[in-house]
Amino acid sequence: MLSFQSSKNLLSLTEDLLVRIYELLAAESDRKSFRLVCREFRRIDTLTRRHLRVIRIEFLPILLRKYPRLQSLDLSACPRIDDGVVSLLLTRVGPGSNSPILGHWAWGLKSLVLSRATGLRFSGLEMLARACPCLESVDVSYCCGFGDREAAALSSAVGLRELNMDKCLQLTDVGLAKIAVGCSKLEKLSLKWCMEMTDLGIDLLCKKCVDLKYLDVSYLKVTNESLHSIASLLKLEVLGLMACPLIDDVGLHFIERGCPSLKVIDVSRCEGVSSSGLIFVVRGHRNLLELKAGYCLSQELSTALLHQMKNLNHLEVIRIDGARISETSFQVISANCKSLVEIGLSKCLGVTNMGIMRLVSACINLRVLNLTCCHSITDAAISAIAYSCRSLVCLKVESCNMITEKGLCQLGSFCLLLEEIDLTDCCGVNDKGLEYLSRCSELSCLKLGLCTNISNKGLSYIGFNCLKIHELDLYRCTGIGDDGLEALSNGCKKLRKLNLSYCNEVSDRGLGYIGRLEELSDLEMRALHKITGVGLEAVAVGCKRLADLDMKHCEKVGDSGFWALAYYSKNLRQINLSYCGISDMALCMVMGNLSRLQEAKLVHLSNCTVEGVELALRACCVRIKKVKLFAPLRFMLSSEILEILHARGCIIRWD
Amino acid sequence: MDLKERVCGELQKEVPKGASFTNFNTQHQQKWEDPSSTSDYSTRIEPPFQAFNQTSQTQSLLLCNNQIKVPMQDGSVNDLLQASKIQDWDPSAMLNNLSFLGQKIHQLQDLVYLIIGRKGQVLGGPDELLVQQQQLVTADLTSIIVQLISTAGSLLPSVKQTLSAATTSLGQCGEFGGVVFPSSAQGLNDGVQPQNAGGSKVSEPPNSVDITSNNGNEQSNHIIEEHELKDEEDAEEGENLLPGTYEILQLEKEEILAPHTHFCTICGKGFKRDANLRMHMRGHGEEYKTPGALAKPTKESSSEPTIIKRYSCPYAGCKRNKDHKKFQPLKTILCVKNHYKRTHCDKSYICSRCNTKKFSVIADLKTHEKHCGKDKWLCSCGTTFSRKDKLFGHITLFQGHTPAIPSDEIKAAPAGTSDGATNKVGSVNFNLSSYVSSESEVQSSSMDIKGGIDDAVGYFSPLSFDTCNFGGFHEFPRPPFDDSESSFAFLLSRSCNYSQKSGEE
Repeated sequence: MLSFQSSKNLLSLTEDLLVRIYELLAAESDRKSFRLVCREFRRIDTLTRRHLRVIRIEFLPILLRKYPRLQSLDLSACPRIDDGVVSLLLTRVGPGSNSPILGHWAWGLKSLVLSRATGLRFSGLEMLARACPCLESVDVSYCCGFGDREAAALSSAVGLRELNMDKCLQLTDVGLAKIAVGCSKLEKLSLKWCMEMTDLGIDLLCKKCVDLKYLDVSYLKVTNESLHSIASLLKLEVLGLMACPLIDDVGLHFIERGCPSLKVIDVSRCEGVSSSGLIFVVRGHRNLLELKAGYCLSQELSTALLHQMKNLNHLEVIRIDGARISETSFQVISANCKSLVEIGLSKCLGVTNMGIMRLVSACINLRVLNLTCCHSITDAAISAIAYSCRSLVCLKVESCNMITEKGLCQLGSFCLLLEEIDLTDCCGVNDKGLEYLSRCSELSCLKLGLCTNISNKGLSYIGFNCLKIHELDLYRCTGIGDDGLEALSNGCKKLRKLNLSYCNEVSDRGLGYIGRLEELSDLEMRALHKITGVGLEAVAVGCKRLADLDMKHCEKVGDSGFWALAYYSKNLRQINLSYCGISDMALCMVMGNLSRLQEAKLVHLSNCTVEGVELALRACCVRIKKVKLFAPLRFMLSSEILEILHARGCIIRWD
Repeated sequence: MDLKERVCGELQKEVPKGASFTNFNTQHQQKWEDPSSTSDYSTRIEPPFQAFNQTSQTQSLLLCNNQIKVPMQDGSVNDLLQASKIQDWDPSAMLNNLSFLGQKIHQLQDLVYLIIGRKGQVLGGPDELLVQQQQLVTADLTSIIVQLISTAGSLLPSVKQTLSAATTSLGQCGEFGGVVFPSSAQGLNDGVQPQNAGGSKVSEPPNSVDITSNNGNEQSNHIIEEHELKDEEDAEEGENLLPGTYEILQLEKEEILAPHTHFCTICGKGFKRDANLRMHMRGHGEEYKTPGALAKPTKESSSEPTIIKRYSCPYAGCKRNKDHKKFQPLKTILCVKNHYKRTHCDKSYICSRCNTKKFSVIADLKTHEKHCGKDKWLCSCGTTFSRKDKLFGHITLFQGHTPAIPSDEIKAAPAGTSDGATNKVGSVNFNLSSYVSSESEVQSSSMDIKGGIDDAVGYFSPLSFDTCNFGGFHEFPRPPFDDSESSFAFLLSRSCNYSQKSGEE
């Protein structure tokens, strides 16, 4: 950030300049630093802030009062929000404590994210929808209990343009009809996993919401009838049909003649779709930008389809995962689809070095390439990719065993924009390879799972050079020890997600280094047999943002560690304590004290008694959403607590 | 009731059986010897007539609604007038016929007097002479009837060609199998056919006098009730047959309830349809495989005159029984079967889903099961649909309409306790004029007009929409005395006891 010497000049900056600076800050941590500088900066923050993601609902009233210009509110991280809270917020929270205007914060709100807000019901939703006159976007995905009444409540937001209802399991055609009639301006709608939906609802939707640009009906049991209706949507650009088992080529024939604006279509995993269906789509839509047809082309790409694909000059994304593909096909694609940005060939049969070379020779704009499980490619292919696709951002070569440091060397030399690379299960990767790779300083996501040939030395290269890394997977990298983690913690301060499972060498000292990673939110460290309570304590104290902790089979961790966890890790949302030596007391503390805890896996706790588990469950039953328990406990726990959990909507998995 | 009337009554009752067999005389004789059936008949018939007279109130109610009826009746009269104009019938020939018939009837009357006299003297065992005389009487009566038909039939274009065939022989007359009401003049109102008035005077069953006297009234009822009828079984829309212009057949209870009506003469196997029997017959030899044997038997008789056949329910007191004052004939044998099972039989088919609704016709059960337990599809405008796609079609069509989400209370409501439901119906029935039930489909207005009880289905059938045969009627649990459709209940209901009526069905 700004250096100390320039702080004098900073104060002379005008307000609008400060606002501009503020707007350039992308990361949330940077903004936090910004508003901590001085009052003036904080004022800029409050005036300019448009988006708010709330983690703790108890601060919501204050925050809403503080940020009057809020346009977007994300409540997905606090599932405890319910109708009562909403009512309270709308009737009590005004711009100032003495202001008569209540619920003012909702007036300017345009976007509302209520994903996983399982506590909310239709009455609260209706209050919100009515209180926010400008509401344009609502996300209620994964609210599994939502159904027609909730849909009816949402339909009172007449200005709605975007709506995500993924996995609202109770939603039926009736609810969809409510929305279709109420929110006729709808442009984007996602209905994934709304399993009750049928053709009738889709048909009505297509007749009422003619402005739809984005429609996702993935995983629904809709038939070709729905496609017939969808084909009448003149403005539709994006159509998601993933894993619709009842859709086949006949339905895609409707799409050929309809949807004149179609740009993106996803028919992945549609069992009934074959090459001829894709020919219909391609023939009807020359301007297609994205074609996602993974796992629906079991046989070889037909020549007819390739012939049609010659016309797709604007195609940017093609995914044909799981298909059988020949070298000539690669040539046709590369010769005609010059503007390809993303190619997905995951688990394709027949992908060879020569094929890849032909493919990438013309695709100089390629940014994303997925070659997962294309076992026969070697360094030659990687070199060709690196040489041709200088702007490559993401490369997935999981389980491509023949890649060695030579290939990584080419990548490190040419693909300097590389941000994500998946080298899981690539045995050829060694320390030298990581050294080459570390030249890609933009790297943010690195997956090295099962790369048993790398050691602390290799990791230290990454730690020194790849300062932007935020996700690192070291699953079963048995060569990794504490020294590697030290190097990592010195460089990769932005690390958010780390997997150390089965890295047996890691000890308490290593975890001490992990504790320096303040951004870390996701830590998986299964079966680290050397670590004890001391190490866990260091992590709990240091990683303030820790939200997801998996420490299954960390048997040596004693109660001191869990006490620390209960005391410090206030942001913990998910925890896996299975096979840990946690005692009754510590379990009760962890479960009772961690006020954001939503999911806990508590299988095979050898030091815990039934009473201890019962007490722990009682301590957290208000907020817990999902719990996994040892199956015999089903009959040992009191029926009362099970009923309470059930009544609160908690899902219990018996193992 | 003198003998002549009794003979007519007896004849009327028994002749339909003749449809199935040819030995007309012996059958008749058996019945003749059995006094119990006659007495039973009269007792069964008479109470309803008393009841009819008591229910003059309902009739006046009915008359209030005559606005619908009047134009239709006029139309029918006009039709008849036109028909009579078209035909060139000879009045003098008609007069000859009638006087001849009158003479014959007088002769017959004398004969019967004679028989009575002798019966009183020789009260011993069965006399050979008596049998012969009885046969004579029957034969004479039949010929009189046939001639009367031909006389009356000359007025109607449809029957005109049948005359020669009908008058030929007595044996053929027996095959007619049904009593034809001689009083064709009933339909032709005052002065149109004065000749026929004489005809009807000559030999008339006692109850047809009632019909003639109430002619206008009855016809209006007939029309109004047709409007109310929604039951497909009874639907006779557009049919406005005048009494006497059609032939009435009456099957016996056993015949109606028999699973099969067509039996193979060779192996005895039964079939529901004649076509199936014909198919079956092919297996019995080459002679059954000829096109003639396989053809529809009715087709060959189409060249012959066809008298419109209508059916009567054998259940005395039923409106579908030909002796009922407001008799409404049934169109086909299938109608008879369904009507009889629905109205006069136990409802033995119980819906396996709801376990409350019972049916006597299995097809009704199947129809019900298709919809049982399914939600009513309701639109925000209040319109209900039995099918979801219909609702969605409606919503597509009308701007701003949305499907209504049923609240849990409404869902639970139809499954009320039996007591509550019956009471509800009762209250509806008592407040005939104004009460409009909110959730049940009982239309109180429909029962104002409706006088009959034997058609409780039509009784409750709503006047609106596409609801199934039974309307909302079956929504109500059946009270315990449901199946006892005795004459007692019938009488009670006749005397304007509406609540009793509703309880009964």
